[in-house]
Amino acid sequence: MKQTTVRTARAMALLIALLGLTTMSASAMHIAEGMLPVPWAIGWGAVCVPFVVAGFFAIKRKVEQAPRAKILLAMCGAFAFVLSALKLPSFNGSCSHPTGVGLGAILFGPMTMAVLGLIVLLFQALLLAHGGLTTLGANLFSMAIAGPILAWLVYQLLRKVKAPAAVAVFAAAALGDLFTYVVTSVQLGVINGGMVKFLAIFAVTQIPLAIAEGLLTVVIFNVLEKYSKDELRQLAVL
Amino acid sequence: MGTDRYAYQSRLRRVSPLPKLLLTAVALVVCLCCDSVAVGLATLAVMGVLVTALGGLPPRVFLRFLKVPLVFLVVGCLTIMVGSHPPDTPVLAAIPVGGRLWGVTAEGLLLGARIFCKALGAVGCMYFLALNTPVTDLNMALERLHVPRLMVELMELIYRFIFVLWETAANIRVAQQSRLGYVGLRRSLSSLGTLASMVFLRAWRKADRIYTALESRGYTGSLSTLTDAYRPGWGLLPLTALVTAGQLGIWLLERMAVA
Repeated sequence: MKQTTVRTARAMALLIALLGLTTMSASAMHIAEGMLPVPWAIGWGAVCVPFVVAGFFAIKRKVEQAPRAKILLAMCGAFAFVLSALKLPSFNGSCSHPTGVGLGAILFGPMTMAVLGLIVLLFQALLLAHGGLTTLGANLFSMAIAGPILAWLVYQLLRKVKAPAAVAVFAAAALGDLFTYVVTSVQLGVINGGMVKFLAIFAVTQIPLAIAEGLLTVVIFNVLEKYSKDELRQLAVL
Repeated sequence: MGTDRYAYQSRLRRVSPLPKLLLTAVALVVCLCCDSVAVGLATLAVMGVLVTALGGLPPRVFLRFLKVPLVFLVVGCLTIMVGSHPPDTPVLAAIPVGGRLWGVTAEGLLLGARIFCKALGAVGCMYFLALNTPVTDLNMALERLHVPRLMVELMELIYRFIFVLWETAANIRVAQQSRLGYVGLRRSLSSLGTLASMVFLRAWRKADRIYTALESRGYTGSLSTLTDAYRPGWGLLPLTALVTAGQLGIWLLERMAVA
């Protein structure tokens, strides 16, 4: 009996420590350097290759048609980096960073996102230590391929069925954000088991954040629609 | 921003980026392949010494950078450690929930510790590169390694534009904050949305102007720059071998100690 009490007490202490961490873990979405074993790191990298290559040739075609596109794409990449470095307030009082997954996918399309995402994630790893070099493939897949593709599909679908723009943008951004976390949880959980645990931890912190990001993206879109209709038309969003 | 400022001040700044890249890559791969507590901690220690002694970074700054990925590592490893077990497993700490024990076993603890230490070592390797090599040098290295020209150019441009946009965003943020723009969730979201869209708008217009400026100076589709004069950095090659030998030695020692 006594042993059980000691065990319970220890577990309680751990639990309280964990709860304290959930508010901090809000920005923990990039898989940190070294968390993935070598085969998985290589595997996720290999999965990303076709997407990046396809995106690269799409960009190349665009640049050959209009040299101006190169500068614009570079600005978009830098914008994605800066956006992800901003602090996003959330409902549970914690702070996180917007992923820009939904916004990027709607503005630039999922193909371009794969290439820009690669560069942005590399810079985030080197300059801010968010993510890492060996986990670049896994992070690229969740944040620049899977999330944007889902967000883009949701946006296109909702626009097709004549949903209001705000609803489509909100759904695309929030679902893209959530899907990114689901993929990250799967990536972490598939190695040592415990996918459900990762999903549970992320769900607590990420659902409010996904809603916050969805709202933020709607605000961004409203302002853009008001002041930069021409630019959006060039990007073929409207 | 971040590691960038220190990379430009590093004593290894003038050394060619290729040997630095090699040392990082080899140490990183060996650290990950060994998958052990001792090798991870040793790699971290060696990289700490290299960054501070060779690169001349104050140890305090290195420790501060080390804290950045710590939150993710702690949460990730705790999640791996804690699990539900049948009621009669020998656990170190647990709460009984619904007939099963939720807690930490000895093996779980070891697994978590191994991943944690391995990841710390890997982070150390990454910092050796990031804190000694500015991104401009890294771009040169990538070009030497035959990464497509368009990709490297995009990287160079994005790197430059990040700082331009960062400044714009920081200025807008100060202006908003001084007008109580971030009081309360609702207002914070609306301020942040305005900020982000204004940054996007300015980025777009700035890109247009930069393109016009380039075109008027004879831009034909590619920006070429001269390579910096680097020190060859041959000394880093034996050092790479030494670090690898040390890592493998510790790995063998640990295996012998366990067996």
